Amino acid sequence: MIALLPFSLCLVAFNCFALAKFNHFKDVFNKRPTQQQRLVLLSVAWISILLSLLLCINELQGYGGLQFCGYMTLSALIVMTFYSFLVRLTKLFNLLILVILAMSTLFFGLNGL
Amino acid sequence: MKGSFFRSMTWLHTWVGLLVCWLLYLIFFAGTISFFRDEVSLWNQPSIHNIEQQTDRIGAQKQQIISGVEYLNTQAPNAPNWRITLPEERVPYLTYGYAKPKEPEQRRASFENTRLDPNNMQPLAPFTDTRGGNFFYRLHFDLHYIDVKTARWIVCFASLFMLIALISGIVIHKRIFKDMFVFRANKGSRSWLDVHNLSSVFALPFHLMITYTGIITLIFMIFPYPAQTVYENGIRGFFNDVSPSSPVTESLQGTAPLVPINTVLDQVYTKWPEADITRVIINNPHKAAATIMVLVSPGKTLRDQSPRLIFSGASGELVAQTDDELTGSKALYESLNSMHTGRLAEPLLRVLYFLGGIAGCIMIATGCIMWAKRLRERMKKNTQPSWGLKLVEGLNLGTLMGLPLATSAFFLANRLLSKQVAERADKEILAFFLTWLCVFIIAFVKRDKLQWCVMAAINSIACFSVPLVNALTTQGNIISYLRNEQWALFMFDSLFLAIGLLFLLQTEKLRTALQAKKPTPINTQEQKV
Repeated sequence: MIALLPFSLCLVAFNCFALAKFNHFKDVFNKRPTQQQRLVLLSVAWISILLSLLLCINELQGYGGLQFCGYMTLSALIVMTFYSFLVRLTKLFNLLILVILAMSTLFFGLNGL
Repeated sequence: MKGSFFRSMTWLHTWVGLLVCWLLYLIFFAGTISFFRDEVSLWNQPSIHNIEQQTDRIGAQKQQIISGVEYLNTQAPNAPNWRITLPEERVPYLTYGYAKPKEPEQRRASFENTRLDPNNMQPLAPFTDTRGGNFFYRLHFDLHYIDVKTARWIVCFASLFMLIALISGIVIHKRIFKDMFVFRANKGSRSWLDVHNLSSVFALPFHLMITYTGIITLIFMIFPYPAQTVYENGIRGFFNDVSPSSPVTESLQGTAPLVPINTVLDQVYTKWPEADITRVIINNPHKAAATIMVLVSPGKTLRDQSPRLIFSGASGELVAQTDDELTGSKALYESLNSMHTGRLAEPLLRVLYFLGGIAGCIMIATGCIMWAKRLRERMKKNTQPSWGLKLVEGLNLGTLMGLPLATSAFFLANRLLSKQVAERADKEILAFFLTWLCVFIIAFVKRDKLQWCVMAAINSIACFSVPLVNALTTQGNIISYLRNEQWALFMFDSLFLAIGLLFLLQTEKLRTALQAKKPTPINTQEQKV
């Protein structure tokens, strides 16, 4: 379960990278993103991906680095699948990601206590 | 070369990739399967399917080693070498083995092995003669029929080409982040380019890591000069220097009783209280020069060589050991090697490695197809395809469709060949290569969409047959594996079903495309009129 947090952070990061693009943002929110929204999305994406890397390295050192590369591949693949093949489900997908992130943060917090 | 930098890079990417893509596909394909080498070997060996995981595997190791030494002492007291291989998480059985006297033409001694169920210490039924996952592991860098050294040079050059193709690919892919999540379906070669880009970009860190570390695993073969300059006996001297050995015991003559193994194990557990011992090797037992080597698992550390302790077999004294703290260069080499082999990987990371490997296969396959497809699109009507295009298309069909079919044939042969067949393991491999050869022959006779469709259909049937034949020839099946939580076997069968389904989808898609191309009867009549 501990591995879920870095993975969900990675997923959030790639989802934000995708949302920062005009077409994908329009798929979800039916409008073009403003410059400020794009900036926020990109910032969240970079912060999430760096947090994910930090967590992986902190938990498992070199081994964690390898795991992080794998998480990136898997996350990008999932995000691409939704934005290319399951466009109708992107809203649900965004919601699901947030739920997964919240759950994994909760688990992580409880384990840390 | 062409004028601008980008055009030069595109030219380099195309030709460096195209020249070795089929070989690279084989290397990636075999390498990807090799990440599950032990699981493949497990599937290939039905007699070990029902061994249950030990409840306290590490706790039982001491007694297993003591029993092993007693067993080997009664079975082969004069053998030059004893080996006790302990069960691991992915290898569920225990092996006691001793070296048989070498034949004059033999380079390495063969071993007489007794395999036991670690739960009840009862001998297992005789093993099926098969290479299992080791076949794919060796195929990955030894290419099977080719001389080992030549094969490794070829693989090395192919890897170097791959690295160049990857770097030039990054340079020419200008919209690397813009197109990151975009796939445009049914757009001809544009769709193939999208898949090529996506499979490259998603797993780019993996592709770069696996290619670079692949070259590093063979670095002492392609770049032996520093070792040759420093050591009198070249690379051998270098390896002797960096591996722990015991010059004290090697020079001793005569006989001496073997020290009780307990005393050695006590020293191991004092040094490493949590030791997960993987193997104990006893050289020259009952001789003054006897050594007892205890190897432990490196766990999740980025270290390829197992940490080991070497004791004198006569006195029980510690005579050599691996360094606790590796030097910078050794740590770098070890970590790069371990990253490539992925032996350190636990199930989750292993699956991620596998995913990266599949992405690599897709990247190479789409690269080869795209080249031929673009050339076809540029060809004027009523012109004959060139010899080069025919060759590429033949190699594409032969390799991309042939390898999966050959793999299915290998596993089907494992289940269908009689246990009594002489040199059975070689026959399984022969089934692999003969199937591949057949596909190549078909591919060079004709390689149109129809042949792709037929091959996809055959591949689909072959993939579905693997779990089916397994269910008919062994006591287990995919449902029983699920019920008994035999996850490795369940995943193996499920993977074949999933790949079979993908091939079925491909068949359907190609069939629809073929039907759309055919003129309808009305059109034909109109044309006739």
